[in-house]
Order: sequence, then C-alpha cells, then structure tokens
Amino acid sequence: MLHKLSPGQKILYYTLLCLLALIILFPIYYMLSISLKLPRDIYRSPSLLPINPTLQNYIDLFTKMRFGINIRNSFIVAGSATLISVFISCLAAYSLVRLRYRYRDWIGRLILFTYLTPAALLFIPLSVIIARLQLGNTLHGLIFVYLTFAAPLSTWLLMGYFRSIPVDLEEQAMVDGATRLVALFRVVLPLAAPGLIAVSVFTFTGAWNELLLALIFITSPEKQTVPVAVSYLITGDVFRWGLIMAGSVSAAVPVMVLYYLGQRFVVQGLAAGAVKG
Amino acid sequence: MTKEIVSDLNKAGAARPRLSMGQRTSLMGYLLVAPVVICLSILVIYPFFFAIWISFTDRMVGREGHFIGLGNYIYLLNWVDFRATVRNTIVLVGSVQTLKLVLGLGIALLLNQPIRGRPFWRGLILLPWAMPAFVAFITWKLLFAPQGGAFNYILINTGLVQSHVDFLSTKALAMPSVITASFWRGFPFWVISFLAALQNVPPELYEAAAIDGAGAWQRFRHVTLPGIRHVVLVVVLLSTIWTTNSFEAVWLLTQGGPSNATMTFPVLAYYGLQSLRIGEAAAVSVSMLPVFAVLAFIIAKLLQEE
Repeated sequence: MLHKLSPGQKILYYTLLCLLALIILFPIYYMLSISLKLPRDIYRSPSLLPINPTLQNYIDLFTKMRFGINIRNSFIVAGSATLISVFISCLAAYSLVRLRYRYRDWIGRLILFTYLTPAALLFIPLSVIIARLQLGNTLHGLIFVYLTFAAPLSTWLLMGYFRSIPVDLEEQAMVDGATRLVALFRVVLPLAAPGLIAVSVFTFTGAWNELLLALIFITSPEKQTVPVAVSYLITGDVFRWGLIMAGSVSAAVPVMVLYYLGQRFVVQGLAAGAVKG
Repeated sequence: MTKEIVSDLNKAGAARPRLSMGQRTSLMGYLLVAPVVICLSILVIYPFFFAIWISFTDRMVGREGHFIGLGNYIYLLNWVDFRATVRNTIVLVGSVQTLKLVLGLGIALLLNQPIRGRPFWRGLILLPWAMPAFVAFITWKLLFAPQGGAFNYILINTGLVQSHVDFLSTKALAMPSVITASFWRGFPFWVISFLAALQNVPPELYEAAAIDGAGAWQRFRHVTLPGIRHVVLVVVLLSTIWTTNSFEAVWLLTQGGPSNATMTFPVLAYYGLQSLRIGEAAAVSVSMLPVFAVLAFIIAKLLQEE
C-alpha cells in the first residue's frame, strides 16, 4: 500500500500509537519505578515518579535473599535444556525434512501433537514419574522435564527453516565426498543459523520463564529457579513490593536482552515457524 | 536374500550385510529422529496416557490407587469448585480471545500503514510478550494492589473513587482484572503474526480493488480478510490452548479466588496435587482433553496444509 496519509489520518494514527505506547510502557515503567523506591515510600508517599530513588532493593535482593543463586540455577536449567533440545531437534528436523522413510509423516504429526499437549495435563503424571526416578528437587530433573515443551517446539520450528534451505547445496557437498552428517553440520546448519538463533531464544526464554513445573519439582530454596523465587516473595502477608519488583526486573533483563539481540530472527521465527510451519 | 547375505558375509572385511541406498537413508532417518522420539515418548506420550489412567483411580501421594471407573468424573460434576472452573474458563478465554482478535487486528492494520519508525513500533509492541509471563503478572498484581498500586493512586487522585478499590479480592472485579492482564501480556503475538500475514497479501490486489472502486471497508472485507484468514485461524486456535492452560496469570494474580471467582483448570489441578489427591487432580486436567483434542486436530490440519 503505497498511498500517502491525509493530515487527518496522520493525527488519528499517531494519537492511537501514543495511546498504545502508554498502555504498553506504563506497567513496565511502574515496575522499574517501584523497584527503585524505599519500602516506606511505597506505602507512605505513593507517587508515579520515583522520589528518593535507591538501589537498596537490588542490594537486599542479592545479599539478603541470595538471588544470585536463583539466577545461576535458571541459567543452568535454561541453558542446558536449550543446548540439549536444539541439538537433538536439529538431527530430528533434518531427518524429517530431508530423508524419506516409512512413518516419517506419522512422526512429524506426533511431534506437532506433543507440541500442542499442555503442561497442565502432564504435570501430574510427570510428578509421579520424577518421584519414581528420584529426580525430584534436582536441577537435572527440571532440565529433563523442560524437554517436554522444548524439544517439540525446537523440532517443529527447525523443520520450517530446513525446508527453506535449497537441497542442492548439501547434495553438492555430498557429491564432493562429504557424508550426510558432515553435510548437515558444515552446510545446512550454518545456513540455518538465523533459525537456530531464533529457536534457541525461544527455548531459552521458555525455560527461563517456566513456573508451574519448577514450582512442583523444586522444593528447597537453594534449588529454586528465578520464577519460583520471585513467586515465593509475593506469597506472604506483607507485600514487599520493592523487593518483588527488583526481582522481577532482574528476572526480565536477561530475557529482554536476548529478545533485543535476536529480535529480527525472533520476529521472523514467529512469522515463519510458529504459525506457518 | 539369504544367498546375498551369505555372499556378503563371505566378502573379506564385510562384517554386516550391505544395505541398499534406500535402506541406508531409512536407517539414518530413524537414527537421527530417535533421540527426540524417545525423549517425547518418556516425557509426553507415556505421561499423556498415564494421566488418563490416573484419572480413573483414587490414587493419592505415596499410595497406588485402585481403579474406580468414572468415580472422579462423577465427583467433579457435582463439585461447585469444578463448575465454577468450567464457567470461569469459558468467560476468561472467550473475553481474552475476543479482545486480542479485535484489538490485535486493529493494531496490526495500524502498524501496516505508512507510518514513520515502523521497526521501533514493532519492537515496542513485542515488549509485553518478550517479558517473562510471571514478571508481567506480578507487575499487574502490583498495579491492582490497594496499597501502593498505580490504579488506586490514579483513581483516588483524580477523585474517581473515594476509598481504595481492591481489584483482585472483589468478586465482581477479579475476573475483569485477570482478563486485562492476560490481554496485555498476550496481544503482541497476535499483532506480530497478523502483521506478517498482512505483508504477505500481494499489493497488486489492493491496487486492482482500488481501480474497481472498492472502498476501504470493501478492500478489507474482500482482499485483506481472505489473505490473512489462515494465519488468523491458527493464531486463534494456538492461543486458545495457551490461554486455557495459562497457570501464571491466575496463580500469581488471585490464586483462583476470591471464593473461586477466577478458578481455572490448571490452578484447580495444582491445588489437587498439593492436597495429595492425584486421581482427582488428574481428572480435572483430563476433563479439558476433548476440547484440546479438537483444537489440536484442526491446528495440525491447517499447519500441514501449508
């Protein structure tokens, strides 16, 4: 659509956009603002602008609440789940897109259905299985159960990316004597790099944000991931909002940085992979 | 066949029968796909059927259950909490999805106009979605808070209300509050998906329609809508599954309260697990299954048509 906007349309559109920006930014602004306020100021002198800004909440969070441990746990769990999931998903997606064999379509369909199976249905049987395997309250157990959503999502998205890579390139490599695996790792994966980045961002943030399974499988404070630690801050009689918001900001920053860095790939990924297959 | 194998074995150094090209490709295919299939068999497929089995037993934590047939389901039908859950889920998902569809499409159309700084606006739109769900919902809990919450501060300072409104603990306000927060967190996915779809509609179609004298509404109705129909349908269905299963929204904002006003399936099932009644909790989860199965089949069909 190459038409020009009339002045009236311009005013209308930019007003709507500003309204939209306000709706999006206000909660984020308020979160930041409260995280910079002293506890007594939050209740005694409520305001939209931070008065007496202080980093005290952040200092308390990382010293008294030992939030660094939670961040470390989350990095271990989300990082490992992402590495494992992206690695096995690359192999599976390549196999499903490029190789012809019986039941291939069925396996593809199966992976799509596992992607659509909600965690709300699985957490009860998983709690029995994890207890039986004696993996309860371990980060290993959590990494393992996170593959429930990570592996199908990564495989499904990567299938979309691999399909978009011309098959001639790897055939050329194989004519030149490379084996199929070498062709996959040397030719296909470098070309699918944007896809790999998008898929890794999705998987990592998915695992970083996950609350329900972490709430069920992790019982001791020193094993808690970030979402669990922050959600325990809000269950109490007194809401220590300054601390809670400092925790929320600290939890959001790594993910937001990842999204910002991979934004182009993520938007493409959403558009190309998640919806179109 | 036997002869071939024997002759193969006779060849010096050939430890196993040589496979044809096609067989080798098949074997390679199975080997590469195996890790994911094994993983998902243990983590999704087996638990899926196990959940259905548990829902027919009176299993408790630390005790194997007995098969009790439809016992749990009959219990659920007469349980007020469960009835509230069904009602709330329909209201919540219905309202949030309608809001996201109407406003999401509106915003996508707005961003598709020749406005300045489109990458900036798109990045901005993505913010609520890029933020972890639990952070978004905790922040909304703060916004709604009677003491220290932004909405109460604004309402009181503008003189709209005289005393603090407790949004999340008032029966009539709890659900609308959850709906608002869920909308805020969820709409970016819709906007970005719709925007991508809008940009795939060939511009020639609009030009042709304009030449034929079609107005804005007619262009939307006859060019835009058919062009994005497929993506809209997939987004609606996918997001319906996600919204129905969203545990964070309700758990962090209201924990299902006040008096079940915002109770949803995942939260009720979580309470069931906490109270150690696994069989009953499983029945709560499994009772969502028929709806999901239908949604999942339609999504699968739509995605594989592409």
